[in-house]
Amino acid sequence: MASHNDDTEESGDAVTDGGVVEEQQQTGFGPITKLNERFGSDFVESSQFWLPPFLLVGLFVYGAIIWNVMISLTDFQGFGTPDYSDLDLEMYARALSDSGFVDAAVNTFVLLIGFTLVTLAIGLGLAILIDRNIRFENTFRTIYLLPMSLSFVVTAQFWAWMYNFNNGVINIVLTSVGLDRVDWIGSPNIVLWAVVFALMWQFAGYAMVVYLAGLRAIPDEHYEAAKVDGASTLRMYWRVIIPQLKGSTISASVVLMVFALKAFDFLYSLVGGYRPPNGADILATKMVREAYANLNWAYSSAIAIMLFLMALSIVGPYLYYQYKEGHL
Amino acid sequence: MGTLELDRLTKVFQDGEEGEIVAVDNVDIQMDDGEFIVVVGPSGCGKSTTLRMVAGLETVTSGNIRLDGRVVNDEKPQNRDIAMVFQSYALYPHMTVAENMAFGLEESTTLPDDEIEERVHDAAETMGIAELLDRKPSELSGGQQQRVALGRAIVRDPEVFLMDEPLSNLDAKLRSQMRTELQRLQAELDVTTMYVTHDQTEAMTMGDRIAILNDGKLQQVATPLECYHEPANQFVAGFIGDPSMNFFDMERDGDTLVGSRFEYPLSQSTLDDVGETRNVTLGVRPEDVEVGTDESGSHTYSAVVEVVEPMGDENTVYLRFESAPEGETFIATIDGLQQAAVGDRVTVSIPEETIHLFDGRSGEAVHNRRLDMNDEISSPPT
Amino acid sequence: MSDETRTDGGAVSAAGSDQPAGLLAEIDAYRVALYLGLLAILAFFLIPIESGLVTSFKTSTGVSGTLPFAPPTPEVFTLAKWQTAFDALARGLVNSALYAVPATVISALLGSFAAYGITQSNWKPKYKAPILALFVAGIFIPYQAVLVPLSQFWSMVPLQEALGFVWALGISSDYTGVVELIVTHVAYGLPICTVLFRSYYKNMSEEMIEAARLDGASIRRVYRRIVLPLSGPMFAVVLIYQFTQIWNDLLFTLVLVQTESSTAAPIVLILAGLGQSLEGQDFALRMAGAFIAALPTLAVYIMFGEEFAEGVAT
Repeated sequence: MASHNDDTEESGDAVTDGGVVEEQQQTGFGPITKLNERFGSDFVESSQFWLPPFLLVGLFVYGAIIWNVMISLTDFQGFGTPDYSDLDLEMYARALSDSGFVDAAVNTFVLLIGFTLVTLAIGLGLAILIDRNIRFENTFRTIYLLPMSLSFVVTAQFWAWMYNFNNGVINIVLTSVGLDRVDWIGSPNIVLWAVVFALMWQFAGYAMVVYLAGLRAIPDEHYEAAKVDGASTLRMYWRVIIPQLKGSTISASVVLMVFALKAFDFLYSLVGGYRPPNGADILATKMVREAYANLNWAYSSAIAIMLFLMALSIVGPYLYYQYKEGHL
Repeated sequence: MGTLELDRLTKVFQDGEEGEIVAVDNVDIQMDDGEFIVVVGPSGCGKSTTLRMVAGLETVTSGNIRLDGRVVNDEKPQNRDIAMVFQSYALYPHMTVAENMAFGLEESTTLPDDEIEERVHDAAETMGIAELLDRKPSELSGGQQQRVALGRAIVRDPEVFLMDEPLSNLDAKLRSQMRTELQRLQAELDVTTMYVTHDQTEAMTMGDRIAILNDGKLQQVATPLECYHEPANQFVAGFIGDPSMNFFDMERDGDTLVGSRFEYPLSQSTLDDVGETRNVTLGVRPEDVEVGTDESGSHTYSAVVEVVEPMGDENTVYLRFESAPEGETFIATIDGLQQAAVGDRVTVSIPEETIHLFDGRSGEAVHNRRLDMNDEISSPPT
Repeated sequence: MSDETRTDGGAVSAAGSDQPAGLLAEIDAYRVALYLGLLAILAFFLIPIESGLVTSFKTSTGVSGTLPFAPPTPEVFTLAKWQTAFDALARGLVNSALYAVPATVISALLGSFAAYGITQSNWKPKYKAPILALFVAGIFIPYQAVLVPLSQFWSMVPLQEALGFVWALGISSDYTGVVELIVTHVAYGLPICTVLFRSYYKNMSEEMIEAARLDGASIRRVYRRIVLPLSGPMFAVVLIYQFTQIWNDLLFTLVLVQTESSTAAPIVLILAGLGQSLEGQDFALRMAGAFIAALPTLAVYIMFGEEFAEGVAT
């Protein structure tokens, strides 16, 4: 049989895994050498860089969460120090039988889902418009993203005024087209959606930026191929482009949900106090109110833990997905 | 000084949970002071890993690296008295050429500033980049960056140079120019050099000796011509040379090799080399396949021309035995002025003194071509 | 940014048209509709801000008597609300800067350290992964989950006593809260800073770092001489993003400084209660206050919009 070797033209055959280096330091004494052997040659020397920040985060974030779990098991009321000798799940049971908690949980859920979906949809629409090879693209993009740079406290001021019953822009517009005024903040059935809308105003630009990055990563050939195949613009986006934005959608929705969980600042500033308008109480506001207005420390800790678990159930799968995709 | 010895050098990577990848397997290489060794092999053969172990960028799983007789396995990279040139040049983009070249001296020595400056200047003169000293890497062409990377290595005056495919980012013309220059430089500086490449042309033209690696195992260490004419095994024979050697799987039947397309009788001296081996691979280099119309001799066969690639000075001809299906070709190189057209029926002869025979199972060479045309090889093969 | 004509939808929508003239008209109609849409959205994003701005210059009668988005007429024009808002918020501006600036700088620097230590040094990826995972997850923790322990922690740390020498200089001991805010914001800002820097360092040439190590530089020297000088663009992104986040945050100020009457009250805390009284809400005052509080982040955004966009998109 005749055969001849193919010339290998591709370069770089390095099977490198710098991490598995277990070089011993000449200067190292027993324990350091051992640590380096186990963790890799730069472990000890590089720890001066990552260890202090890591300890800070470890203590303040993870230490605090564990501490919070402990407090939630006591019946601490804010005087002296919590009594850790008698731990039970009483506060969690109390939460489940507290209609205020259930309402807040439901509201949190509605806010989370409603806000995220609305914002993603608007953000995607904005990104597609911006991506249509327009002039002054930078100006449009900058202004659409502008509300994101504002504080929740500031946007709450603007929207309190927008939603004002007598003189707010929205009601003025409604009456000018012959509709009745709506009490946006005062109606328990409406207020949550008013909040969703205001938050959408603040964060649609964020979703737009994420989607825009995703759109820009799609090769031009895909647009051209769809055109050549005779797809209409709408169908091209629906069948070819949007399916490729899965990654952007996932990361944007996780971040948006986390923003929604932090909507406390907005609701607090809307009314200037711990008690949000009726119908808009969410776990984040209830937790802070129970702790700092009612001094139910243990109870608020339990609410905080449940809020945390809610966040974890969103972020956990996301981080796992990122890890699997090799983005970490 | 400047001898480098790899002694049963082995590198095992952990792959996932349980798996292990043996990237470098018991490699032995002895390099004399001032020697230029090219380590060559296909992608993934472990050549870069070997180099990185010598540099100290990877740990050694087992075996030893000796620099001047001293084991340096556990020595930090900066204490090994080596300098390395990277494929991407790895220049520091925020520093000028002079600062790039001075960096190593500043970090690893206590030389006073004026002496560092002097050495940088000398090295820059050697590399012909003295007028570029105040530029940033981004203002340089690829060839100039390459020179800076080399300059950065030589300014440190190390015992050993390590080069990881340093020319692969250059265009073809510049590459052959730098090849010559690098050889001249190495000879001039007389520094032991270990040079990794996948390009067998670089291996053939630059090295005092070539070390050929495949699958982490050392195949052969020898001068370029030895590797070319006396390959240790079928892998080396196929890897070195372009176009590469033709191989035919044969079975021995008495004093004849029988293949699916042709038979090849062997003389007694060749038979002695083959010994008891039954399955034999016959190898012949394209330039040793003679193409003509003259039908005489016992090693003559008729074949059909399938493809002709004119190279100017010579033609690469893809031939097919008459009994073979289309596409099953072997290669001959013939003189550029010799005519051959697709579909021509030609006579090819494979002279016995040019053939290589390999053990069909292990691939080890059992018989190499005779080199009795000259007593001493002083010119590269044509 | 993109001059390519790839998404020139005009060609697509005009695909069915045969006559060149009709094609041209259709493209024009399409472009006009596109720009009108973009402008309408622009108006949507600007209306709340515009309405707030014009309202802030109106007297109380002007607020109730004129359209909310109409500019103030000369009869109802006043700068009094801005004056009042500024008087109320001036102390908050200073206080906010007192913790936002140091916390931003420290968290960016530490984030750069951490990212460098995890990314560009040789130790086993399987041990790096959990550390990195803890940093990444830290970005997404709702602050509520740590509030109670945080209050407990700061009530146990005798910071106020330890800083006695500072109060002896005549500075109000309320400023303990500012110190607490710096430490707290650094700790909770570190995860995002680390992740931003990591994405940057991951793309830095590994061979360059190896070259520097071979050149004899220690890990610390490599950072000092190679990595840090090359981190400029990412520092811009991180500093801008972090500053905005810290300046804008209300929750920690509420918990650590607590009352807007405190000498050390940050601006967001004062603003949250501004213009709200039992008699009703003074919207003109609230709008003026909102602008004063937003000014620093708006200024940063207008000057460094690109970096801000990069920060949020990562």
